[in-house]
Amino acid sequence: MSEAPHTVKSYEEELKNLNSNIIKMGGFCEEALGKAIQAITTRNSDHAESVIKDDEKIDKFETLIEQQVVNLIALRQPMAIDLRETVTALKISSDLERIGDLAKNISKRTLLLNENLPKNLVDALVRVSSDVQKQLKSILDAYLDRSSSMAMNVWESDEKIDDLTNLCMQEVIKYLKENEKNLDDGTHLLFVTKNIERIGDHTTNVAEQVYYLVTGEYLEGDRPKGTEPIVTGEK
Amino acid sequence: MNKNKEKLLAKRYSSEKRFQFLGKSAIFMALLFLAIFIFKIFSTGYTAFQKTWLIVPVNFDAETMYLDANPSKEDLEDADYFEISLQSMFNLDKNANEKQQNELKKMVSYFFEREIKQELINDPSLLGKTKDVYITASDDLDQVFKGNYPRDLPENQRRVTDYQLKIFDQLVEQGKVESKFNLSFFTYPDSREAELAGIASSFMGSIFSILVCLAIAFPVAVLAAIYLEEFAPKNRFTDFIEVNINNLAAVPSIVFGLLGLGILLAVFQLPRSTPLVGGITLSLMTLPTIIIACRASLKAVPPSIREAALAMGASRMQTTMHHTVPLSMPGTLSGTIIGLAQALGETAPLILIGMVAFVNTIPGSPMDPAASLPVQIYIWAESAERGFVEKVSACIMVLLGFLIVMNLFAQIIRHKFEKKWS
Amino acid sequence: MIKISAKNVDVFYGKKQALFNINLDIEENQVTALIGPSGCGKSTFLRCLNRMNDVIDICKVQGEIVINDFNINDKGCDVVRLREKIGMVFQKPNPFPKTLYENISYGPTIHGMAQSKQEMDEIVETSLKKAALWEEVKDRLHEPGTGLSGGQQQRLCIARAISVQPEVILMDEPCSALDPIATAQIEELIDELKKEHTIIIVTHSMAQAARVSQRTGFFHLGELIEHGSTDKIFKNPDNTKTQDYITGRFG
Repeated sequence: MSEAPHTVKSYEEELKNLNSNIIKMGGFCEEALGKAIQAITTRNSDHAESVIKDDEKIDKFETLIEQQVVNLIALRQPMAIDLRETVTALKISSDLERIGDLAKNISKRTLLLNENLPKNLVDALVRVSSDVQKQLKSILDAYLDRSSSMAMNVWESDEKIDDLTNLCMQEVIKYLKENEKNLDDGTHLLFVTKNIERIGDHTTNVAEQVYYLVTGEYLEGDRPKGTEPIVTGEK
Repeated sequence: MNKNKEKLLAKRYSSEKRFQFLGKSAIFMALLFLAIFIFKIFSTGYTAFQKTWLIVPVNFDAETMYLDANPSKEDLEDADYFEISLQSMFNLDKNANEKQQNELKKMVSYFFEREIKQELINDPSLLGKTKDVYITASDDLDQVFKGNYPRDLPENQRRVTDYQLKIFDQLVEQGKVESKFNLSFFTYPDSREAELAGIASSFMGSIFSILVCLAIAFPVAVLAAIYLEEFAPKNRFTDFIEVNINNLAAVPSIVFGLLGLGILLAVFQLPRSTPLVGGITLSLMTLPTIIIACRASLKAVPPSIREAALAMGASRMQTTMHHTVPLSMPGTLSGTIIGLAQALGETAPLILIGMVAFVNTIPGSPMDPAASLPVQIYIWAESAERGFVEKVSACIMVLLGFLIVMNLFAQIIRHKFEKKWS
Repeated sequence: MIKISAKNVDVFYGKKQALFNINLDIEENQVTALIGPSGCGKSTFLRCLNRMNDVIDICKVQGEIVINDFNINDKGCDVVRLREKIGMVFQKPNPFPKTLYENISYGPTIHGMAQSKQEMDEIVETSLKKAALWEEVKDRLHEPGTGLSGGQQQRLCIARAISVQPEVILMDEPCSALDPIATAQIEELIDELKKEHTIIIVTHSMAQAARVSQRTGFFHLGELIEHGSTDKIFKNPDNTKTQDYITGRFG
């Protein structure tokens, strides 16, 4: 599609502004997630605290983007590609805000941990979280480049993240069963694992929005899902 | 920079003031000329609306009229009034000699016999009695009474003798001379005698000419204009026709007179001097005026109305006749009336086709010979008698009045239709 | 079902070509919008459908326009009958300078649709009711049509167009001279009318085209660039030019 500029320059400016705000917000989310994971795997409470404090910035972005979208709709009556950009910006910012909140939650729980974590647990966490970070970066790049193929890849990779999450869950449950003293930490870790999975889901949401933005069509069918999560014990 | 602007601005204002001044003075001059003209006409002409009557006692002696005691109506009609009429005039000066008696007779119009007869017929009981009868004074005495006559000229240079003046002054002292509204100016036809001349024949002649002109010019012109404007294809030929119609409007009217003379009279052998021929000639002149007015008002009808009608499934004919033509009527009618008003004032062509002949009967139809108002003015202006001078101006006043009424009519119609349209 | 089918339509004004090879199908009982920048030929195309271009001497129309299995560009086509079946509403309201009653009754009169005064009264009332104007003017049917407000006049023109029971109604920018409230009333009317009539509307307002129509055609410099469902055109058009126009990137 052509990138000829709008006749009305201020309209062009507003859309560019919206675009860059999403990208900035995504950057902050990436940063928050990275720090939160580092905080929990290396037990760095400074990182954790900075994530908690900086979540405010991400929230402010969501409010700003929402206002910009409302203005665009009221004043410009956007059509076609502009309409899709406006609507998806609203939804993407909402997903990004949730990612920020989940990262904050991970950091809060990190500060409540008492003991050091066993290596296998940390490895499992690192495996799943690095995948999620990769997907988050990938989808933000897809948004910047308006690439529907990259978006599709991210969408399909949700399956792998679910699998990795399940593995991580298994390790946590093993940890819980090992020792009664592990109950507190184990519970926090359950939530942390779940949060990482939720971040993956939100990333997939963003992928759906980016695909719609670029092609104007919806990704068909259910998302590819991993194996069913473990409910009862030994496997 | 600013100073330049100021200078220019001042120049603009002053040139505007100058222009306004010029415009106002032009209007003032025009109104002045108009005022002088109207004043002259009115001051000369208003006296024509007054007629001087001599009140003369008449003895309706039955014997002189060869009537018996109880005459029937036919007897009264056939009786001879000449003697008693002469007698009544001679009685004004019982000592008059023959020459003077002749002069007495000349003091009244030759209608006096008829006026006296009319008096008796209106009241047969006057037979055998004497009564004061109103008799039309001669044109010269009429002018004397109105003060237009040069009484101080030597007698051999006047038409009114000293003797006549003496008798006249006597009558004036006795209160036997009255001036009343001159109805006969409007009801009598033209006459060699100025006191009896009226505009009835020329007025009717004008009306008939205009009616004939209208009957021919209006339908032909309107239909031609409708065809040219709405239906004719736009090509070189129709452009040629349009140019020619515009040119015809500028042709001097006397040329149409020649046309009338050469074709209507010579070839078609139509009766000369009739409003029929006059009307046809005038209609040829008026055709271009009406066509141009009609075309202009057809052009002025907004095309949106035509499109609306066509889109409803009206044929071109229906669109034109149901919508365009009715809307263009105000303009067409005003143009027609203005064209007719112009035709009313035309003199040269009517002279050429013979409507200048002396006509002393009132025409009953367009086939009877007649004159027209402007031609009448021309004829009277040529006459030597003093009595005709005021009549010329009066006739001009009547003609102007007629024109004003027609133009007012045009305004009213236009106003009424425009109100309806908007 | 296809009501009107335009095949290979070319239109010339003298030597200059205004429409190039237009192929467009109009669906029955739907609203089709024609959009495009000024001078792109959409009004010209609209006027081809009821042969109003015949009025312009130098205009030549080639190609087929088939309505009810009949090509209206045929020599044998009776233009008067055609215009009874295809009505038109213009940009600037143009009621006849006659009474309201006469405005509506003119069409039925010349087409001989009413046998008695009562029948004519019914036709007038029905048309005005369908145009949502009856309640406002029923007490002044014998007043001049030009005494109404702009929006009322346009509704009067619509009532006049539907008085002859056309199958198709052509509208050339009907709301461009009206205020927003009058525009909304006309749009509501179009929504109602499409139940029984096929409507083709030329409009400059993209938002209006998106609101009222089910199918849209985009014209540019005499060509039909894209046509399809309104939904698609306004959310995700195929052609770059279409998108550029509707998003305000040119024209």
